[in-house]
Amino acid sequence: MEEQPGLSEQYTRASPWPVFVALGLVLTEFGVFLGNYLLPVGVGGVLLLEASVVGILRESGYVDSLWPSSLGVGLFVGGVGAALLTVGRFNRGAALAGAGGIAVLAAVGFCCYERGYL
Amino acid sequence: MAVSPELVFSVLMGLLLLVVAGWLTRLEDWQAYTPVGGGGYGESTGHGHEEKPAGLTRWLTTVDHKDLGILYSLFGIVAFAWGGITAMLMRVELTTPGMDFLASFGGVGLYNALLTTHGITMLFLFAAPLIFGFANYMVPLLVDADDMAFPRINAIAFWILPFATILMWAGFFLPLVGIDIQAAKTSWTLYTPLSSTMQGTGVDVFLLGFHLSGFSTTMGAINFIATIVAERDSVNVPWSKLDIFSWTILTQGGLILFAFPILTAAVTMLLLDRNFGTMFFAGEGGGAMLWQHLFWFFGHPEVYILVLPPMGLVSLILPKFAGRKLFGFKFIVYSTLAIGILSFGVWAHHMFTTGMNPRLTASFMAISLAIGIPSAVKVFNWITTLWNGKLRMTAPMLFSVGFVQNFIIGGVTGVFLAAVPFDLVMQDTYYVVGHFHFIVFGAIGFALFAAMYYWFPIMTGRMYDRRLALWHFWLSIIGGNVTFIAMLILGYGGMPRRYATYLPKFMTWHAVATVGAFIMTFGVVAFVWNIWQSALYGKRVDSGDPWNLKQSDQFSNEWKWYEGKRQTMLADGGEEDADDAERNAAD
Repeated sequence: MEEQPGLSEQYTRASPWPVFVALGLVLTEFGVFLGNYLLPVGVGGVLLLEASVVGILRESGYVDSLWPSSLGVGLFVGGVGAALLTVGRFNRGAALAGAGGIAVLAAVGFCCYERGYL
Repeated sequence: MAVSPELVFSVLMGLLLLVVAGWLTRLEDWQAYTPVGGGGYGESTGHGHEEKPAGLTRWLTTVDHKDLGILYSLFGIVAFAWGGITAMLMRVELTTPGMDFLASFGGVGLYNALLTTHGITMLFLFAAPLIFGFANYMVPLLVDADDMAFPRINAIAFWILPFATILMWAGFFLPLVGIDIQAAKTSWTLYTPLSSTMQGTGVDVFLLGFHLSGFSTTMGAINFIATIVAERDSVNVPWSKLDIFSWTILTQGGLILFAFPILTAAVTMLLLDRNFGTMFFAGEGGGAMLWQHLFWFFGHPEVYILVLPPMGLVSLILPKFAGRKLFGFKFIVYSTLAIGILSFGVWAHHMFTTGMNPRLTASFMAISLAIGIPSAVKVFNWITTLWNGKLRMTAPMLFSVGFVQNFIIGGVTGVFLAAVPFDLVMQDTYYVVGHFHFIVFGAIGFALFAAMYYWFPIMTGRMYDRRLALWHFWLSIIGGNVTFIAMLILGYGGMPRRYATYLPKFMTWHAVATVGAFIMTFGVVAFVWNIWQSALYGKRVDSGDPWNLKQSDQFSNEWKWYEGKRQTMLADGGEEDADDAERNAAD
């Protein structure tokens, strides 16, 4: 069976990621900064931003594998969350630490998959 | 059982992420993303030879500088419409001294919100994105590059803008659906303590959007610098042959790189003051003066960020229709660089009345007067380019000449304001409003209209309607001058700026300004209708040189590219295919 190419493989001047990097960044800043009942918007934004950064790095060829970049963004976001926790911003800190943790877990999953454990 | 807003937002975000994941799964080949998968990055699949997908997917996923140029331009026109509507609402209110027209919609509060969004929109969402639109489309062609240096960052920079804009405009629409988030009423300069103490989430939402738009601009600027420096074909386009528009975009990029981080930092500090109890701008901290210094250290270079590329556009377009090379090209480049450097030394001329040390005001006055010299060098060069030329009064040429006229009035009134004694009298009056509207609309706006008409054939494959373009020009130049000269006169009479109501003695000239604004609006309607109709149904361009630039040996790189593209299309499938391809490009 012939393989179907993805959009960014088939077309040299198209990428699905930039619009989601932008949306993720905006939702992150909006939701996390304003907090309160908008915090879920921030968490969704962080997850979208993390996934989009990992995706765009892989798609543009800056990295070969998904797990190192996923681990990197996860540790960065988690680190910011931990820093907020230490200064007493519990809700925002926990939201970022959790979203970072999800990216770290995803990195573990990608690593296992790429090495054939899954 | 009451449903908590947290739960509602959690479900909505979950749905959004699912939709995004579903859409991406349809588009992307996930096998290609893992080393164990079948695809592998960069392998030729044998599927398709085109650069971009079709339909809406193309516009959502494009990283092509030309497409992003068109998206930036469309965005700029939408923002221009919003900025124009808000201006007209204010002008109608100002026709009479009392609060009447807006009284039943929100009164003085709404006026202040309109004032704020009008200023921010016209500067950051109309002028800057439209400049970026032309630069995106044309700079890679002018410097013979394949694309921008970082195409994906280019797309990210664009897509941040509409989302940031939604935040910046949200305060006008959310109350209509029952959400109590009001539009910011801080004026575009966001002076503290008003902006740091004004109640309401609307100000924070607006500031977040403003903050994000700064990211977008900075990313764009880095991309332009990298493109011109690193992606330029140094054989065909050495520094000595770099066109004037690219020079101004390069200078603009440098200014953005040094100015915008200051704005981003200052807005961050303001947000922290408002929400997290910091005291950067409180009386005990840096105080209101700290904000003004930070804001204007960004704000005055921002004026040149906005005006240098339009100067570049006029320097590029004028010679084409004067039949002569640009007079004193090198001096225009030098004056551009001089303005760029001096622009960081003039910021406190916005603050002469704040009680600064007089020795400081004298030095800022000196540099502010000095920056008039390179600006005057440019005007001299434009006029000498026209002198004895074979002028062709096309729409781009008319708007370029209109730019020079408006820039002279806007520039000279600015030189007066740079002088401390004059500024002490005129500070915060309509004189200042008239001065900068001559620059922002009369100069920047006119240059952007000139560029729109000049490159319309390249961007759409069609020609605009000349008659409508002439209506656009004459209504704009007459309406603009009527409005802005009336503002200058109001300022001389002592009418303070930013007020929704005023003393009856100012009514006549306010009424004149409103009439002028209506005349301008008719011109803008002619422009939008022309662009829309001509892009879809205009006469097709039948040559790669619609302006006869070869005649005066000014057939520049972007037109060479366009001619090459037309020849390739004709060779590929005949004229019909070329027409279809052009239609698709315009779609």
